[in-house]
Amino acid sequence: MAEIAIGIDLGTSNSCVAAVESDAPRVLPNAYGEGVTASVVAFGDDGRITVGNAARANVIHAPKTTVYSAKRLIGRYFFSEEVKKARAICSYDIVEGPNHGVRIRIRENDYSLPEISAMILRELKGIAEAQLGQAITKAVVTVPAYFNDNQRQATRDACRIAGLDALRILNEPTAAALAYGFGRELHQKVAVYDLGGGTFDISVLEIGKDVFEVLSTCGDTFLGGDDFDDRLIDLLADEFAAQHGVNPREDPFALEKLKVAAESAKKGLSVDDEVEIRIPDVALDSEGKGLSIGRTLGIGEYATLVNDLIQRTFKVCDEAMQQAGVVNRDLAGVILVGGPTRLPLIRHAVRDYFQLEPRTDVNPDEVVAMGAALHAASLLAPEQKAYLLDVTPLSLKIGVAGGLAETVIERNTPVPIDQTRTFTTFQDFQESVRIRVYQGESRHAAENELLGEFVFGGLARARRGETRIEVTFEINSDGIVHVTARDPATDQKASTQIKLSSGLSEEEIEQIIARGHAERVETALPGTDPSVRPGEAAAAFAARFGGPEDTPAADPPTAPESIGSLAGIGDEVEDVATLDEVAIAGSSEGEAVAAPDASLASLETGEIEVLPDELPDLEEILPLAPHEDPLSASHEPSASGRFEIELDPGDSAPIALDDRELFSAAGGDLGAEPESGEATPADPARKG
Amino acid sequence: MGTLAPAELRALARMLDDLDYYELLEAPRGASGAAIRDAYHAASRRFHPDACRHLDPEVRASIERIAKRVTEAYSVLRDPRRRRLYDERIASGCAERRLQLVESAAVATQRSREEREGRTPQGRRFFAQAVSDLARGETASAIRNLQMALTFEPGNPVFEERLVALRARR
Repeated sequence: MAEIAIGIDLGTSNSCVAAVESDAPRVLPNAYGEGVTASVVAFGDDGRITVGNAARANVIHAPKTTVYSAKRLIGRYFFSEEVKKARAICSYDIVEGPNHGVRIRIRENDYSLPEISAMILRELKGIAEAQLGQAITKAVVTVPAYFNDNQRQATRDACRIAGLDALRILNEPTAAALAYGFGRELHQKVAVYDLGGGTFDISVLEIGKDVFEVLSTCGDTFLGGDDFDDRLIDLLADEFAAQHGVNPREDPFALEKLKVAAESAKKGLSVDDEVEIRIPDVALDSEGKGLSIGRTLGIGEYATLVNDLIQRTFKVCDEAMQQAGVVNRDLAGVILVGGPTRLPLIRHAVRDYFQLEPRTDVNPDEVVAMGAALHAASLLAPEQKAYLLDVTPLSLKIGVAGGLAETVIERNTPVPIDQTRTFTTFQDFQESVRIRVYQGESRHAAENELLGEFVFGGLARARRGETRIEVTFEINSDGIVHVTARDPATDQKASTQIKLSSGLSEEEIEQIIARGHAERVETALPGTDPSVRPGEAAAAFAARFGGPEDTPAADPPTAPESIGSLAGIGDEVEDVATLDEVAIAGSSEGEAVAAPDASLASLETGEIEVLPDELPDLEEILPLAPHEDPLSASHEPSASGRFEIELDPGDSAPIALDDRELFSAAGGDLGAEPESGEATPADPARKG
Repeated sequence: MGTLAPAELRALARMLDDLDYYELLEAPRGASGAAIRDAYHAASRRFHPDACRHLDPEVRASIERIAKRVTEAYSVLRDPRRRRLYDERIASGCAERRLQLVESAAVATQRSREEREGRTPQGRRFFAQAVSDLARGETASAIRNLQMALTFEPGNPVFEERLVALRARR
């Protein structure tokens, strides 16, 4: 029997698995005949682990031991805004793990996010094996296009734990476009509008027969169907509190009831203009009598609740269209992906925005898995039938002196690619440079996602600005980022594959696989022990909520913009102490360095500077400033391999002093040059 | 895999640094944007890393190298500002066949600013004076300042254009 690789859409709320059989992709239904399986893991009192709709039924009666929306947490640092939001609202316990990682505490056990996701993947693998009648070991797994490298790596780890070789981590909108255009010999530009349970992505593609070229992708990993539900939960909770003086948000059971009702109402409004919301026994009054919620909700009122969320998606669309250099009339189609796009409210808004009727011949819940299956089959086939040309969704940057980040590869650059930029030292006789790799769009290092770092040592003794350090970033066809530093004078090199610093180490992954929690998942297959099948109530629940939509919410609609807000400073002290170890570990050549270090502390406190004062300032790095001869008419900056930084002295950015410092310290041709690399008064961070 | 044998792939990977982007994409120098895109698609069909998973690691590494350079070539040639820089570099006989993307975008931005405002301190100063002269309606003084700016930056197209326009106005 020929080997089959499956395609998996691992969603925030629901997941879907598909495979290609006789050249056509087919969604593989679970034991209950459902095409989508809830991304929910329930840990039973007896040690059994269940996944899917049966597990989702547990949310109400065992909220502490039922994990949902794990995708919102995967690959995140514990101190991140998203994790804080989740901790405030999730009924299960989210705790801090090693290296600022995130763990979910179920009774006495802590589980990493890749482990939780692995349980879902394991379930999907089981569904595929039952359907296809053969063992499955290879898969293409999709992620939101806007996922950063940490989130992708963590997803890859989840595959390994689940016993799946991830042939590719594929972007969801790209997969959807592949499913839409595969084998149709199209020549057109399309947009993929992907509003999932927890994330929003928009990609613009050009399809040229069998080539699927992503022109741009933009997204918001803080915006999804969950946020729509949260708006309604808030409305219901506030009304209830005003009426009865009891806040249902304080009771996890009541909160879960509101979540289920909000989600159900959203689905109802996908079909009808008005829905009845009835939630019995939300709380008890002083006499022990049940208090309930009962009201009708019209589509108009709902639209008012969520309108700003919809408008936020179009802001992201504007950006994607501009980056792709296309306007509405260039587009031949708009493909809708994700359960929330079933809402007529959203369909109409999308039609108005693109001036184009969205495609209705594509199932928004299954199209991503089908595309993943097509790609999986293609990767095993000797002859390619489709070529995917994707882009990197976020700029890759390197941290430089003054807490800034210099771009090495811009967002929406096609991959695979490698790019080199030349940097120089910040101090006289600097012996080593710390190379910190970030992903994001901010010029301030701390506002970007830290992917990892390493120290490049053994530089020749020289004055600042004299040493050259070439840093090469490579994104290979698997989307993995490699970073190499080279001293062109000595040809000495150090390189690392950037590995999520809050993620799991190789040993941890091995241990998890050995513990085999993922294997304990009770895959509900026809003919297996009936005790693991859901009871009647659960089956009824599954039938009612088994539709292709989102699970209860993970976060309230509280200011998602406040990403950079300050955290408590309680945690930072211990981090600084580890910096020495990191530096030592890193200076052993070519070793990847995990980064539980001061930069994390500074991320947490929102400060810009990254190195505390008592440590030698050896590792600051500078980009080479433009080489400019004031009287020369000719200007050939790049022939020498130098680069120009796009710093406008008239720039109103609040870091103008750092700009000048950058210019003067590195180039010496522009403006006044400070005698030493000492901190300017405007740079409180370096003063410490 | 497409049409190239492993030996040819290895040879191509070795000579990458000697090929300019047009040669690599097999597109003529004056190719339109659409033709560049078609050439990129065609090259991607020949050199897509996905298509070579079954080949031996060394050949795969060659293809990966070629694919990365193809992507880079396309990223430069599809962007008119980068392409102009690149064309000038090739025309000047520069041996370096690569243009780094971020660097070239910055150069292009700086260049357009320089053309707008001047690339030397003196040029900028006299040009700025000319602009403020004009704001006050002092055309004769503006012309003098533009001429001064041009002595520091002979051939600056923006300065020349403004000067011609002013003289015509008189």
